[in-house]
Amino acid sequence: MTATSIHPLAAAALVGALLTVGVYVVAVLDHAVWAVAAGRRPGVRHLMVEPVRRAALLLVSAPGDTERTDAQGWALAPALLAGLAALALATVPPAPDVSIVDPSTGFVVFSAAIAYVMIAVFLHGWSPNAPWPLHGAYRFAAQALSFQMPFLLAMLATALPAESLQISEIVRAQEGLWNVVRQPLGLPLYLVVGIGVSFWGPLNLPDAEDLAGGTMAEVSGVRALSWEIARSAMLVALAAMGAAAFLGGWWGPWRPGAGWLVLKTLVLLAVLVSSRHVVARVRIERFVIVCWTLLIPLALLNIFVSGALLL
Amino acid sequence: MGLTHWLRDVATRAPVPVFAGAAAEAREAVQRLRLDARVRLVSAPRQASVLLLAGRLPEMLLDAAVAAHDVMPTPRATVLWLDETLAPPPHPFADARVHRGGDVASALVDVHHALLRGGQPSEPPVRPDIAPAPWRGEGPYGQGGAGMTGGVPYGRPMATREDDRDGLTLDVLPVPVGPLFSGFPDGLTTRVTFAGDLVHRFELGPNPYEGGEARALDDPFWRALHEPVPIAELEVARVRSLLRWTSEAARVAGLDALSLRTLALAERAEPGDAAAVRALGRWLTHPLVTGRQHHGVAALDAADLGGLGLGPVSRASGIPDDLRSSDPAYVELGFETICHDDGDAAARWRQRLAEAEQALQLAERAGSRRTGGSGAVESPRGRLEPDSSPTSRSLVLLPDLVTGMEWGDAVTTIVSLDLNLPEAAAIASVAGATA
Repeated sequence: MTATSIHPLAAAALVGALLTVGVYVVAVLDHAVWAVAAGRRPGVRHLMVEPVRRAALLLVSAPGDTERTDAQGWALAPALLAGLAALALATVPPAPDVSIVDPSTGFVVFSAAIAYVMIAVFLHGWSPNAPWPLHGAYRFAAQALSFQMPFLLAMLATALPAESLQISEIVRAQEGLWNVVRQPLGLPLYLVVGIGVSFWGPLNLPDAEDLAGGTMAEVSGVRALSWEIARSAMLVALAAMGAAAFLGGWWGPWRPGAGWLVLKTLVLLAVLVSSRHVVARVRIERFVIVCWTLLIPLALLNIFVSGALLL
Repeated sequence: MGLTHWLRDVATRAPVPVFAGAAAEAREAVQRLRLDARVRLVSAPRQASVLLLAGRLPEMLLDAAVAAHDVMPTPRATVLWLDETLAPPPHPFADARVHRGGDVASALVDVHHALLRGGQPSEPPVRPDIAPAPWRGEGPYGQGGAGMTGGVPYGRPMATREDDRDGLTLDVLPVPVGPLFSGFPDGLTTRVTFAGDLVHRFELGPNPYEGGEARALDDPFWRALHEPVPIAELEVARVRSLLRWTSEAARVAGLDALSLRTLALAERAEPGDAAAVRALGRWLTHPLVTGRQHHGVAALDAADLGGLGLGPVSRASGIPDDLRSSDPAYVELGFETICHDDGDAAARWRQRLAEAEQALQLAERAGSRRTGGSGAVESPRGRLEPDSSPTSRSLVLLPDLVTGMEWGDAVTTIVSLDLNLPEAAAIASVAGATA
C-alpha cells in the first residue's frame, strides 16, 4: 500500500506544528498532575496559561554564562535534542494513507535518533565548563549506555509480526491485534526506558536535584527554555511512537485514524508525564543493574516469544 | 505594545522564582513560603530572579549568598526579610529592599514586577566580574596546561589523580558543596572529592551558624530541657518537625508536588489528623514511590549507633532507644517505642512517618499532662541534652558513612539523618557560654 508523501517543506512545517502543540500539551499535563499531587485545585484557565507565563519569564531573563564555555556546544545541544525529537516524530505515520517520512528502514532511523540523545545531553553538560553539569553529563552517559539495548530490543520485537522495519507496516500489522496484547512485555519495557531516554521524572538523573539541576544548573533564560522544550519534544516523539508501535497507531473503531493516534499518544503522554510526580528519582546504580540484568533478558524473552508465535 | 513589553507583562503573572538563604530563626518561615502559589523556591541561583535573605545571616552564609547573587540572571533583585525588632545587619547588597514582618510573598512579587516593568533596575554584581587570575589553559579551548591541573588553581577546582579504593589511579575532582546547596540540610558545608559519580573523599567544613552570640532555641524541646512542657505541645511540635523533614526529603528525591502536600499537612497538623498522616505515610513509603529507591541505601547496623541516641535513625536500625519509654508521663499514656529493622534510608522514612502518626495519637490522649525539666529530652532528631545535640553526634558518623557511595546515595543518606545545624550551633554556643 502506498502512502501519500508530503512535500518536504510541508512535512517540516507539520512536524514543527505537531511538536509545538505537543510540547504545550506536555507543559499543561505536567502542571495539572503536579497540582493534583500537591493537593491544589487550579482552574482550567490557570492550567492553560501557566506554561505560557513561565516561558515568557524565561524569555525575558538573561541566559547567563560561565567561564570558558564551549559556546557552540551549548547552543547546539538543545537544537540537536529538538532535531532528534523531530526526526523521531517524523517517522510516525499519522494515518494509513499519509506519511511524513516513511522509509523502509523507519525503525533504524528512529533508533538512530534515540541513540544520539546521549550526544545532545553530554554536550549540554560539557559545554558550561562547570562541575555539576559535567557530573550530570557523565551520569547520562552511564544511563544511556544501559537503556539503549532494552529500548531497541523492545522496539525490534514489534517489527517481527510486520516482517518489516517500516513503521507504517508495523502499524498495519496490528489491524487485528495490537502489539500491546501480542507482546505484553513490550509496552512496559518501552515506557520505562522511554522515561530514561527523555530523562524525565524518576529517570531525570542528569538534571537531578542532587546535582543542583545537573546539566541545567548553569542555564537560565532562553537556554533553559530551549532545553525544556527539546526535552518535552522528545517525550512527545516517544509517546507517538509508542502509540504507533504498541497501541495500533491509527487503528480504531471509527475514522479518522489520525484521531486515534492522537488519542493514544495523549494517553501515553499522560502516563509518562505523571511518573515525574508520583515516583521518586531512581538510583543510577540500580537503574544500570536493572537494565543489564532484568530489562535486557526480558526484552530478549519478548523477542523470542514473539518470534515463536509467528512460526 | 511591543513583543518585549507584552512578554514582560505576561511574565509578571508567573510565580516569582526565588533563591533563598535563611538564618537559624527564619528557616521554617522560608520553608513555609513554598506553600504560597505566588512564589517558587528554586534549587539553583541561575533559575531565580529574586534573592531572599531571611533573618540575620551569619557571615559564611552571606558570602555564599553573594556568590549566588552574582550568578543570578538579570534582571535580578535582593529582598532582606527581617523581624520587626531586628536592626538591618551589615550586608553587601546595597540595593536590597528590606521587608519586615509577615507576607514577604507580596514584597517578592512587588520587586519582581518592578524589575520586569522597568520600575527598578537590575542589581549589578556585588563582586567585580573579573577572573581571580588569568586562565592559563592550553589547547584550542583552553582545556589543559601544566598550571591548570590538580588542586584549585586560581580558585578553580581542577581534576587531579589519586589512587582509588581498588588501587587504580583515576581522575578525581574536588568540589566545595554548600552551605546553600539545595540537596543538603541548611548550612551544611563540605568539600567533596569525586571519582566519577563516587564520593572519593568527604570533608566537613565549619558550621556557619556557629560563632555568633549564645542564643536559646525557640523550640518546645529546648524548653523541656529546663522546665515542664505540655506533652500535647511537644508531640504536635514533633509531628510538624517529622513532616517538615519528610517534605524536604521528598523534594530532594524529585517529588516536588508530594513535598508540598506533606508540608501543607505539617503546617496544619493537629491532634485528630493521625489518619491523614497514616494515609500520606502509606502513599509516600510505597515501594513504587520511594520505598524501592531508598531500600538498602546507607544501612546502619545497631552496633554503629549504640548509645548515640539518634532518635528515628537509631530506632530505624532496631535500637529501642527513646527517652519517652522511661518517662512516667508517657508510660501513663501507654507509649510504646516503635522500631524498624532494616536500618536503611527507606526504614528511616517509615520510622519517621510512623512516629508522626504515633505522636498525634499521644497528643490526643495527653490532656494537660506535662513532662520535662530533667536535663534530657527526646527530640524529633534524638536525645537532646544541654551540651549535646543529635546533629553533632550524627556529623561524626557522616564522612565515613558517605565515602565510597554514589553521589545520589550520599545525598539521600545525608538527608535521611535529619541534620539541624542551627540547633547544633545553638547547643554548642550555649554550652560554651555556660562553661
